[in-house]
Amino acid sequence: MEHKEIMIQLKGITKTFSQKKGTLEVLHGIDLDIAKGEIFGIIGMSGAGKSTLVRCINLLERPTAGEVYLDGQELTQLSEKDLRQARRSMGMIFQQFHLLMQRTALENVCFPMEIAGVKKGEAKQRAKELLELVGLGEKTESYPSQLSGGQKQRVAIARALATNPKVLLCDEATSALDPNTTVGVLELLKDINQRLGITIVVITHEMKVIQEICNRVAIISGGQIAEIGSVEDIFRSPKTEAGRELVFHEGNSREGYLGQIPHCYRIVFDESNSGEPLLGSMMIECNGLANILAANTRNIDGKVYGQMIIQLPEDEELRGRMIANLQAKHVIVEEVDHV
Amino acid sequence: MFESGMISLVGIAFWESVYMTIISSLFAYIIGLPLGLILVATDKDGIAPAPVFNQVLGVIINILRSIPFLILLVAMMPITEAVVGTVIGAKATIVVLVVAAAPFIARLVESSLKEVDRGVVEAAQSMGASPFEIMTKVLLPEAKPSLLVGSAIAMTTILGYSAMAGFCGGGGLGAVAINYGYYRSQRDIMLVMVVLLVVIVQVLQELGLRIASRTDKRL
Repeated sequence: MEHKEIMIQLKGITKTFSQKKGTLEVLHGIDLDIAKGEIFGIIGMSGAGKSTLVRCINLLERPTAGEVYLDGQELTQLSEKDLRQARRSMGMIFQQFHLLMQRTALENVCFPMEIAGVKKGEAKQRAKELLELVGLGEKTESYPSQLSGGQKQRVAIARALATNPKVLLCDEATSALDPNTTVGVLELLKDINQRLGITIVVITHEMKVIQEICNRVAIISGGQIAEIGSVEDIFRSPKTEAGRELVFHEGNSREGYLGQIPHCYRIVFDESNSGEPLLGSMMIECNGLANILAANTRNIDGKVYGQMIIQLPEDEELRGRMIANLQAKHVIVEEVDHV
Repeated sequence: MFESGMISLVGIAFWESVYMTIISSLFAYIIGLPLGLILVATDKDGIAPAPVFNQVLGVIINILRSIPFLILLVAMMPITEAVVGTVIGAKATIVVLVVAAAPFIARLVESSLKEVDRGVVEAAQSMGASPFEIMTKVLLPEAKPSLLVGSAIAMTTILGYSAMAGFCGGGGLGAVAINYGYYRSQRDIMLVMVVLLVVIVQVLQELGLRIASRTDKRL
């Protein structure tokens, strides 16, 4: 991030699918720069177009309009042959792993090297090393059907790394895994990013995946980038509806509360003030009560953030004092219309 | 009925049937397998889409498949004569069997290949695999168990066709069944032929399934 050298650059990416009834525009002119060596998250609700977007990066989907640059090279103008060559510098992993079921783990990792024309013995040696890197040194001769979901994804990661790519694209890579396995796979991705310096693009609908590993994040909604910034900033104060939706409602259903509770506020505090009894002292100092509706703490890039949804009293004057009291303690306070 | 002349006749007919089936299957696969691959690859969602070509090929295959085997046997006589120099016997039957079975096999292969997960193909594309590499390194190996089951079905069908060819001077068990069992009303001969055909079908089918499940790594 220091040099801000750009690895992936998308310019005006538009994608329309022709359907029986007219056309469906999935992406509307997306511009995006992803820096060398960063872990970049793309988050959105299902149907937002994020999977299409990541497929536009390696041209598994051809954008209807726009340009895709990988390390300075424009991809959409390449011949099929040159594109295949360029794809070797982009690894990709998928939600459903997509391993070759009739090949062992080792043979799966060898596959992209066979295509790239690496000598058999060399490929085998490298595949072994990669499987060790992802913690599957013992499972080289196992077939995918003998491996668990997390292990399959590790094989897929090893396979994606086989041709020394500059970029690793992860399309909902942890969505089919249970929470514990997810953490393991995310740690592996982070480790790979640090060890190999590879740029990672993570597509997900889960905010916790973003928090866990990403440096920056783009929120995509309705085929457009709603918001883009560092994970910290987006988490502390999402500026758009789509952003709030993703940050606030992860894991809880909001329908039950929607519009029913007035005067709700979201407060966010970080390490500097999470050690103090903020809410308690505010209530004593202002002589008023706040109702806690939801609360959680998150770890973003090693820093602890807490967020709470509280309901403040009817009395406007009292409410104003309470908000001012919290803001004086460097707590972010913003009104939310739903919980 | 079971004098030595008859037994050797049946023995020869048995091997003739087996031989016709194996050779015809082999040639039919040499034609049908690539056709099946082409059908899958040129599909509108395939790895090398060519929708118009795909439809034309599909229609041709359907036309060939809809001609009843006996009609084809008669209609092809001039071609058969030109290819192998005769219109009777096992050799002549093989030519017709190949023409009849190849389009059927193309469809069998097509359906086996379509069972391969689209996502695996996409993964291979994301690694820069060419359409040819996807065919040889992904589609065929991944569909192998299903292709083997299909080949057992193909061979039993070809065996059935070869027996029908007995009506038009083809060789094998079918010819014996028709010449002796039907024209001479020797019911016992007919029965023996039927039993032998059933045995061959059982063996082919069982062998196909066993090999398929033994090579399948998904289990």
